[in-house]
Amino acid sequence: MLTVQNLSCGYGQQEVIKDVSFTVEAGQKLCVLGPNGCGKTTLLRAIAGILPSTGTILAGGLAVKTAPRKQVAKKIALMSQLTSVYFSYTVYQTVMMGRYTHIKQGLFATPSPKDKAIVLNCLAKTGTLDLQDRQITELSGGQLQRVFLARTFAQSPQVILLDEPTNHLDLKYQLELTDYVTEWAAEENRCVVGVLHDINLALSFASHILLMQNGEVVAHSPMAGFELELLSQVYGTNIKAYMQHTLKRWE
Amino acid sequence: MKKNVKIILLAAAALFSLLLGIGVGSVFVPPGHIVAIFANKLFGIPLPSGLNPVTQGLLLNIRLPRVLLAFLVGAALAVSGTVMQSVLKNPLASPFGLGVSSGAGFGAALVIVGGLSSGVLGSFLLPVTGLSFGLATVLVAVAFASRIDKTLSNNTIILTGMVLSLFINALMSTLAASSPGNAQRITLWQLGSFAMKEWSYVWVLLPVVLLCTLLFTRYARELDLMTFGEEQAMAAGLNLKQTKWVMLVLVSVLTGTAVSFVGIVGFVDLIAPHVVRRFFGSSHRVVVPASALFGGTFMVLCDLAARTLISPSEIPIGSITAIIGAPFFIYVFLAGRKKG
Repeated sequence: MLTVQNLSCGYGQQEVIKDVSFTVEAGQKLCVLGPNGCGKTTLLRAIAGILPSTGTILAGGLAVKTAPRKQVAKKIALMSQLTSVYFSYTVYQTVMMGRYTHIKQGLFATPSPKDKAIVLNCLAKTGTLDLQDRQITELSGGQLQRVFLARTFAQSPQVILLDEPTNHLDLKYQLELTDYVTEWAAEENRCVVGVLHDINLALSFASHILLMQNGEVVAHSPMAGFELELLSQVYGTNIKAYMQHTLKRWE
Repeated sequence: MKKNVKIILLAAAALFSLLLGIGVGSVFVPPGHIVAIFANKLFGIPLPSGLNPVTQGLLLNIRLPRVLLAFLVGAALAVSGTVMQSVLKNPLASPFGLGVSSGAGFGAALVIVGGLSSGVLGSFLLPVTGLSFGLATVLVAVAFASRIDKTLSNNTIILTGMVLSLFINALMSTLAASSPGNAQRITLWQLGSFAMKEWSYVWVLLPVVLLCTLLFTRYARELDLMTFGEEQAMAAGLNLKQTKWVMLVLVSVLTGTAVSFVGIVGFVDLIAPHVVRRFFGSSHRVVVPASALFGGTFMVLCDLAARTLISPSEIPIGSITAIIGAPFFIYVFLAGRKKG
């Protein structure tokens, strides 16, 4: 579904991602873990074709780096972390923007009945159907991220890249959002690559883990076989002790 | 209120402002006479006996082109402002920030100081020079931005535009200071005026404004996406760099043509998009044409104030747009906040 081969990229002279290779099969939810500055966000931006890179990226059979942007967007969607919105659109208009590559261009081009049906479906799948006429500037962070998730779905991609979409959200909304993504990924020919800051959330969401350090892959394995001890080494702190300590408060 | 109703109301306001602008002045022409004069000109229907033919000449040759030019310039600047704010995802962005106006001003100052004249261009020498310098400035700014930042990011564009504007403004001040006899003319040109303009200016500006407004409406969905930032726009499938270039060049042509005819009339480009978005939301399919209508209406009314308030003298139009615009802007914002 998604193949990344010998991918390197960076900003200016500085190389941030160094010769990274991995594949994600349909149905998988891959979580990228690693300490701050290890290149997680850069990796996602490179896969989405937004940052120039060297190496090969294939998404649903499409060569991301050479294909036109519109074709790429039909295969890969990227959802970023919560940012403030300055310009006000209705929720419906915002989600319809996800259909950008599917709607014909022209002065009088309008969304087809199919586009409208897909948008309503995406609103329903993210629990935002009754918000559709609200202005996005009036929404809470949790609502806004659900709307952006709906827009990501409306793009009808095969691969969704999540770049810390749950930042600044309360636990309830974090779980809600990841649940919606899990539901989406369960359908045929779809996969997810996510960067989630919260290790607990990542471990409960992921089917596979990609552990990174200094722009290189340290481990790539299914969740079941993943050695949690590696996390402590890479993050440079005793995570197990911390988690156990936290758990004790609840007992 | 439904959006269609709002648009119709805005169009009606635009029409009303045009009638007002044509009718009111040193000589008052009642609406009935305006209609009669148009009917006479267009269809050859004889003028009513009470109507002085001098009034007809005044209306057709002086007031009508002036009012239409004001409307077109207002529309051009408002649409340019709307597009710039969206392209740069910055509510304070202005087409002037790209250096169009400073470039145009410098070009005009060169013509004025040099006492240049051209047989072929005639009265078009000043605007043509202004437009060429304005466009050249933008091209230099954007080319420079694209050179130091391959992705042509918004901050780079804003920064290079600003630096270049300041640089050229400094050149212009130096030029004005070195030629004291022309300093006043340069300053007045910069403040802008719709006085003594010919029909030919209208015929040049009309197609430019119409075409650009239509093109920007055609790019409405691209502009919508750009307001969410560069990464989101690209991820949604927008060819960002190319679209940005097209938008910036069109904005420069539109703004450049407007300011080189009438001088640097500020403020409309900043307030029009905010006011229009307040009433119509942000969707560019509506905001672009609505900005044109609002900007045109606003400018016609400002010009009316400019030529009548201290008649027979005139207040520079650039001062009026700011004097009326600033309180109006604050009112719209405070009123909106109470509702929200």
